[in-house]
Amino acid sequence: MPSLKQWRGLDALARDPAFVARAEAEFPMLAKAMAAPTDRRGVLRLMAAGLALAGLTGCDAGAQDGILMPPVRPASGTVGTSGLFATAHMAQGYAEGVLLRHAAGRPIKVEGNTLHPASLGATDAIAQAEILGFYDPDRDITLRRGRTAQSWQDLVTALAAQRARAEQDRGAGLRLLTGRITSPTLARQIAELRAAYPEMRWHQWEPVTRDAVRAGALLAYGQPVQVQPRLDVADVIVAFDGDLLGSAPGHLRFARDFASRRNPTRTDRMSRVYAVEPAPTPMGLVADHRLIAGPRDLARFVPMLAGAVLRDETASDAPPWLAAMAADLKGARGRAFVHAGPELPAEAHALVHAMNEALGGRGATYRLTDPAEAEPVALADSLAALMADMQAGRVHTLIVLDSNPAYTAPGFADALTRVAFSLTMAMAPTETAGLTHWSVPQRHGFEDWSDGRAFDGTATILQPQAQPLYDAISPHTLLSLLRGPAPVGSRDAVRATWAAAWGESLDTRWHDSLAAGLVDDTAVPVSDVRLRDAAAQAIPPVPDGDTALLLRPDPHVWDGRWANNAWLQELPRATTKLVWDNPLLLSPAGARALGVRNGERVEVRRGDAHVVLPAWVVPGQAPDTVIATLGYGRRDVGEVGRDVGWNVYPLTGGGPVSLRKAEGHDALASTEHHDPIFCDAGEYVRHTDLAAFEADPHVLGHEPPLDSLYRTHPPGPAAWGMSVDLNACIGCNACVVACMAENNVPVVGKAQVLHQREMHWLRIDRYYEGAPDDPDIFLQPMLCQHCEQAPCEVVCPVEATLHDSEGLNVMVYNRCIGTRFCSNNCPYKVRRFNYFPYAQDEHRTALARNPEVTVRARGVMEKCTFCLQRIAAARIVADIENRPVGAEEVVTACQAACPTRVFSFGNMAEGGAVVEHKKSPLSYALLAEQNTHPRLTYEGVVRNRNKDVGA
Amino acid sequence: MAAIFPPAANLAAKLVLLSLAGLVLAGIGWWWLFPRTDYARHVDWTVDQPVPFSHQHHVGGLGIDCRFCHTTVEVAGNAGLPPTYTCMTCHSQIWTNAALLAPVRRSLAENVPIRWRRVTDLPDYVYFNHAIHVAKGVGCESCHGQVADMPLMRKARSMTMGFCLDCHRDPAPRLRPPEAIFDTQWHRTPDTPSPAALMAHYRVGGRNLTDCSICHR
Repeated sequence: MPSLKQWRGLDALARDPAFVARAEAEFPMLAKAMAAPTDRRGVLRLMAAGLALAGLTGCDAGAQDGILMPPVRPASGTVGTSGLFATAHMAQGYAEGVLLRHAAGRPIKVEGNTLHPASLGATDAIAQAEILGFYDPDRDITLRRGRTAQSWQDLVTALAAQRARAEQDRGAGLRLLTGRITSPTLARQIAELRAAYPEMRWHQWEPVTRDAVRAGALLAYGQPVQVQPRLDVADVIVAFDGDLLGSAPGHLRFARDFASRRNPTRTDRMSRVYAVEPAPTPMGLVADHRLIAGPRDLARFVPMLAGAVLRDETASDAPPWLAAMAADLKGARGRAFVHAGPELPAEAHALVHAMNEALGGRGATYRLTDPAEAEPVALADSLAALMADMQAGRVHTLIVLDSNPAYTAPGFADALTRVAFSLTMAMAPTETAGLTHWSVPQRHGFEDWSDGRAFDGTATILQPQAQPLYDAISPHTLLSLLRGPAPVGSRDAVRATWAAAWGESLDTRWHDSLAAGLVDDTAVPVSDVRLRDAAAQAIPPVPDGDTALLLRPDPHVWDGRWANNAWLQELPRATTKLVWDNPLLLSPAGARALGVRNGERVEVRRGDAHVVLPAWVVPGQAPDTVIATLGYGRRDVGEVGRDVGWNVYPLTGGGPVSLRKAEGHDALASTEHHDPIFCDAGEYVRHTDLAAFEADPHVLGHEPPLDSLYRTHPPGPAAWGMSVDLNACIGCNACVVACMAENNVPVVGKAQVLHQREMHWLRIDRYYEGAPDDPDIFLQPMLCQHCEQAPCEVVCPVEATLHDSEGLNVMVYNRCIGTRFCSNNCPYKVRRFNYFPYAQDEHRTALARNPEVTVRARGVMEKCTFCLQRIAAARIVADIENRPVGAEEVVTACQAACPTRVFSFGNMAEGGAVVEHKKSPLSYALLAEQNTHPRLTYEGVVRNRNKDVGA
Repeated sequence: MAAIFPPAANLAAKLVLLSLAGLVLAGIGWWWLFPRTDYARHVDWTVDQPVPFSHQHHVGGLGIDCRFCHTTVEVAGNAGLPPTYTCMTCHSQIWTNAALLAPVRRSLAENVPIRWRRVTDLPDYVYFNHAIHVAKGVGCESCHGQVADMPLMRKARSMTMGFCLDCHRDPAPRLRPPEAIFDTQWHRTPDTPSPAALMAHYRVGGRNLTDCSICHR
């Protein structure tokens, strides 16, 4: 069993013997199978069947599809080379600039757009997974009315009737419900509708509202201004349950800025970060001080800190760290930044605004700008007004665009029955589309023209990346049909918007904007509003009740809209490592009080609603807080997401919360104990604090590699190596999805994950250190280390895994006979075995795969290749040009996606960042005692602790 | 009692046993040998195509360069098939009513691709790249044979891994001067630079061309 200094989960810490035996086994299912009574005849029968089936597969010479000769040369570049085309990924209404990599004339991979302010070249996990969503076969829905399929002409006719009705009552009964909208074209079309029907009302709704952020700005400034932090400038950062690095609009940029100040070997001055939060957030995972506070404590601590910062008050019941934090903030005047998460009350936001102004951060550590939304409203109020009108019978026509209130808003389905004509436009089946009279298939963002704004207002014109895969229309076209009888195509609609802005120069600016992926000079202006005096006096309400229930969006499937994306479902959550489920997250103390263990059911009651959920214990969660995750338990969705987890939206209603242990147990799939590593020192993630590092830069132990009798240096002209900076990893999982997309990594489903058979080539190990109630948390991306002295290679009986001359540990699928010896002998546990034909069984078309990477068959081992296909492509280009492959010419998929630049990769023979980073005193090889000489090294964690804050 | 088997039965039994053994051996031999024959590998098989295109006529007779149709051979992994449009640059002028060319005319008129059948089909786990081979002095003929002599296209080489490795282990003798790469009739002459000189010219040899990762991903 791995040592207990750094531990992966509570089961490991408890050292339950049955658990230890299971966790230590490389193939836990094997022991089970060996124990099962199989008689001699049964074995012979299976062997005979195996032989016969193996013989049969040998008979297939492979069908030939032939090779197509196009009538005219395609305009989209050369077949056989890849191209990159800019567009944007829309999340919560905000645009995140992306480039789509095309191969064989189709988009296959999402990359970040370096020019785009919300991307800076990086992407998040959801954007990476969007390519799977684009090819999702469940998007193939038909235009229908009730249960009957309709023709597009039927829709045009039906909308003409509604138009006539709206003209009669000046639009009084016509309502439009959308998600948050930043698109200038949608905004223009809606404005035109309002001009035509003056009494029409437009409602916006997102289940994850950010209304408190807006209300806080209104309290503090009287206007819904938004804060744009500059975390690269801030020396001291205090985040109260912050979402800056996780899901806030612009989070990729904030993460990049944040990480630039977190590695003391690359920054002159490391920032100091305090995260005060009920449960681990991305910011908390990398904070220097993670301080646990439930919602009630947060509502108390924010005014206490405000008192200390603004008025030098010292509250008698203040926590011990508060004075040191306040002193630190005040000592960093002009370089300090305080942040409050969207779940804190508006008053807390107002106080934070007041603190930031008082600390002199405005213009330095953050900017205040106008909002980027087309029409910023309080979303909860907007939906409530709509539902009230629907109940009162004041709505005769309801058009729902890209929103799913029947699932996300309790009571909406009931109100919908009182609407005479309702229509939902959606990309895939939704609960709302199943209830409205009409269901209109919507084009995916990657096959349609549109536009949208980033968090800072920068506009991007979305261009289609392929012909529409399924018969669907654009929302722009639908809105045009509400206005007049002639449908307007999405390209015409978008061009009309920008023609108004650009006039004569439309064609050139259009072209330039499409090429760059953004429209120049469209950022929202910096606001010069003045802080109201009342802001400093705001008093956040302290929630009552002993237990606080937080309802949080899932970091991957979000509010449920990405529930049908298998990559996101099977993506281990940063701290719980859970997949395919949304149990109730409890603190260790809370679980003890209830008497539940992982998987045992708990009944959660809030007001009239109650939901029974299995429990999951999260070390480091606030004792008075339980967290339920939104986005699960969807019924009307594609094949992948149907009935995965439990729907907790009924609990959004409010009221007192009570918990009770319920009968039953659910098997929850968490990967936290999978692939255990055995390290003599018990320290997988080496870490120290800044003072110790400054006293002795080699405090983490930079031991030289041991000598070896059989040591061979790969002789090739290039030497591939990677360095992973553990100071920067925030656990966002973008790299994991990028790896899946790039390398055709299959998903296996919950049942197989329970058997420890997930296929991720790259995983992020999470270690705890210290007591379960308040442990330090460390993250460690783990992928094939490409050992020069690889233990896997010497045990392979068929030379299916071996070294190439450039230092890559390569896997030859065709030679592999599936002994799994290599996996057993791999000390890092990064090898993945195809127990079943996972790739063939996937709910996915062949079109969606990366044609540059072999799709692995049943019975072969696979693992990270350092994106060999990208190396090969660069190698070919360099050899044609008769030059060495540049130091940083090859960018791996994980490296490209990472917002915080955790990974550096390159040809070490040519120098470059990876060589620099490997020289860092923080650099160490994991399991160096095994003398594997890995080509991948880690940079250990340095935390900038404040000595005045008790650990 | 008389013997059941006459003495001659000894011989018969031996013969039967021997022939049985021989049959088994022959079977094993066949099982081992047959897949290695050119027949099983379809070498020199012509393939029925929607249009009986003749490389002999177009390349040998008219002298059209390979790259006129296979335009991406120098820049991409695929050599590329020409669009129908390329065919019609000439065939809108000559043989405009030939029945043989009806599928070509229909392709352009109705905007439907012509579906050719592959003559050389590498397995999907092999990532062959035309551009690098052409850039490093491997002639088309080395793999595709004398297409200028083929009235109908046929597979000229076995295209097995052994065939690839023969050259990857020792590329020097197969390299050609740059001007001869697309020359289907080229032969080494006394004026040709030596294999070693060509290796140096193309800077081949730095990379270990027998690494698995060169062709497989």
